[in-house]
Amino acid sequence: MEQFLAALDGAWRVLLVGLVFGAGLPTLFAFGIRSLAWGAGGDASIHEPGVTLKPKLVGRLIAYLLFALVVLLVLSGVGYIVVHGLGWTVTFNGLWPVITPK
Amino acid sequence: MINVTPEFILLALVVLTALAFDFTNGFHDTANAMATSIATKALSPKAAVTLSAVLNLVGAFLSVEVALTVTNAVIRIQNPDGTPKPELMADGGHGLLLILMAGLAGAIIWNLLTWLWGLPSSSSHALFGGLIGATVASMGWAGVKWVGDGYKLDGVVGKVILPALFSPAIAIVVAMVGTWLVFRVTAGVARRYQESGFRWGQIGTASLVSLAHGTNDAQKTMGVITLALIAAGQWSVTNDIPVWVKVACALAIASGTYIGGWRIIRTMGKGLVEISPPQGMAAESSSAAVILVSSQLGFPLSTTHVCTGSIIGSGLGRTGAKVRWGVAGRMGMAWLITLPSAGLVSAVMWYIGHVIGGTTGAIVVFGIMCAAAVFMRWRSRRDPIGHHNVNDDWDGTADAAKVTVSGGVK
Repeated sequence: MEQFLAALDGAWRVLLVGLVFGAGLPTLFAFGIRSLAWGAGGDASIHEPGVTLKPKLVGRLIAYLLFALVVLLVLSGVGYIVVHGLGWTVTFNGLWPVITPK
Repeated sequence: MINVTPEFILLALVVLTALAFDFTNGFHDTANAMATSIATKALSPKAAVTLSAVLNLVGAFLSVEVALTVTNAVIRIQNPDGTPKPELMADGGHGLLLILMAGLAGAIIWNLLTWLWGLPSSSSHALFGGLIGATVASMGWAGVKWVGDGYKLDGVVGKVILPALFSPAIAIVVAMVGTWLVFRVTAGVARRYQESGFRWGQIGTASLVSLAHGTNDAQKTMGVITLALIAAGQWSVTNDIPVWVKVACALAIASGTYIGGWRIIRTMGKGLVEISPPQGMAAESSSAAVILVSSQLGFPLSTTHVCTGSIIGSGLGRTGAKVRWGVAGRMGMAWLITLPSAGLVSAVMWYIGHVIGGTTGAIVVFGIMCAAAVFMRWRSRRDPIGHHNVNDDWDGTADAAKVTVSGGVK
């Protein structure tokens, strides 16, 4: 029973943080795709027949910003794996990671 | 000069078997990271397995942490510091080496059988199951640590069974929410435009899963081989592993990944859900996040369970998509029986090795394992699956969900 509660305790934490990163990351990316489509104009977005959508620079800029954020998150994932692999531990002081040798 | 004694032959067989297990571990798990990218054609099948193999190789070299105490979670053959129990060390460590040999052989046979069936079962469950079976055969039921003490997750229940129940459920929820959000956000974007964008996102997140796999799984085999070396008196340090062990394990898991378990890739990529690139990215992000977060929080889980859960979740999160529950049910069954089945095979292997005795016993066990592998390889030739047909339609009909808006005009 205690083991079950311990597993449950771990599980909801994993679920919560997993949702923030695991569902948040593709959502950010989706916003990027949407802005990019809006910025590209033409046939990138679904539109009424006969209407021509104009390209918009702002859309593309927002898109690149969002993509950069996604890349940064993925790279921090890589960084996390590397740091852990090298035998250090990562603790979080607020959101800022602190790396200490084990 | 190395003296070729019977003990040395036994040790060499154990090391070979461990590397063979590492190899099956690699090809069994290629699907975890790459099935979705192959199914959505974000990567060609060859490119996908190559990328995954390279990342597994890098990942295996990255892990300097010593996983020598990997067996301590479930069985009692080692002291807390990683050295083998003294009672197993008699006769040049013969007792311990035979347990490892039988455990690994059972795990390999089960991995190959589930591969033949195209089912993504957990390689770590197979390894733990095999070691448990061989330990029970050798030391009785008391040799196994079934339940941990208090609130610290430990033992078979805490480290293997409970995480196996929770982790697919967590992954399903995360991937479902992610998929649902992605389709909401990109609702107005033309389909072709949306899909080409998400293919890139998918490659990035799938790479993350491959890298994490390399660091986690290669380590287990490195730990087992080092334990065998200590038992045979060829190594004495518990906080370091020999360089050649690391190189050999990294190469074994990477070459396994490169060979690719196409039968399993096909089940995961085409059998469960018809995956589109946005679903693929949502699934891989969910897997990567759940795997990394649980390793940070010390919650042990199996990559296979997480990745399968994520793919099912990506089917549930998309309106109109359907999950083939029959296929999912077969997988669920395979997960349930992986640990006991590998255990049973290993126990039988141990008895065979023990009754025949000595080095001859170990050679017979090794021979049976090789014969089983050759048989299953031969059996797989009846309906070969490779990179050429991995993406064929699952039940012969074209995907209904594909027939929607594909141009930019309503």
